[in-house]
Amino acid sequence: MTHDTALKVKGYLAVFAALLALTMVTVGFSYLHLPPKVAVPIGIAIALAKASLVVMFFMHLKGERPMVMWPLALTVFLFVGLFVSILLSEADHLFGARFVDAFH
Amino acid sequence: MEGIPYTTEARPDTGLTNPKLGIWLFLASEVMLFGSLFSSYALLRTGAPSWPKQWEVLNVPLAALNTVVLIASSVTMVLAWVSLKNKNVQRYRLFMGLTLAGGAVFLIVKAIEYSEKFSHGLYPSTSNFLGLYFTLTGLHALHVVAGMIVNAYFIGPGVRMWSTDPERFTNRIEVAGIYWHFVDVVWIFLFPVLYLL
Repeated sequence: MTHDTALKVKGYLAVFAALLALTMVTVGFSYLHLPPKVAVPIGIAIALAKASLVVMFFMHLKGERPMVMWPLALTVFLFVGLFVSILLSEADHLFGARFVDAFH
Repeated sequence: MEGIPYTTEARPDTGLTNPKLGIWLFLASEVMLFGSLFSSYALLRTGAPSWPKQWEVLNVPLAALNTVVLIASSVTMVLAWVSLKNKNVQRYRLFMGLTLAGGAVFLIVKAIEYSEKFSHGLYPSTSNFLGLYFTLTGLHALHVVAGMIVNAYFIGPGVRMWSTDPERFTNRIEVAGIYWHFVDVVWIFLFPVLYLL
């Protein structure tokens, strides 16, 4: 094994350790049964961190060409748009918005 | 026969090999496929007057085990690719075999979970939550099966390419790996969303 790939393997194992640690943290948090307004952002943040590690290092997105980045950026934009538009339909009790008042 | 161009060298205009661009575009479409289901979940849950405590309905320890299994199989997949980079095909076979085993363990645990639910009379038709649970995890399990078929091919008949075109074969394993890691990423979101939160 060359020096370069030995470093790579060490990096992958470090990512593995981080993923296992984050899994323990998120499971640990879930046993506290915090109210959803606290638990959901924490759970999603940890999942985002784990997913980023996998995408950046295992899927080699770190340092990838722009031709990969741009379609993915568009995908993220559409994905978030889909979510926001759907959640806005429940905005009244989710965010306390009162769109109805505008028509009175 | 010419075959597919730019499998080992980057295309000048994209800066990528064709398979690399292809897998990422495919995964972009996959993000939207799962995105539609995740957003359906968000709408149905936020719009529901009440929602079951998911961790009481589902088996959190089994799902945590499956999370570890799938993450481990992602690590062995990337190590299989590193082995080919080091021209060590024996070690590649070992890590690819472990990756396949990880997928198999994941599906067995999933099957245990499903049969546990069925034996308690919990079906997709039982509630919105269970409908979403079975749809999302079922679609994800299909993706695991698809990845295992591809990986089985690359440890079986597909490995012959190693002796004729090792560089192209190494790229194939990288691309198969990118798909396999994506399946892992989907589970990383499914686990907290369906079990923990």
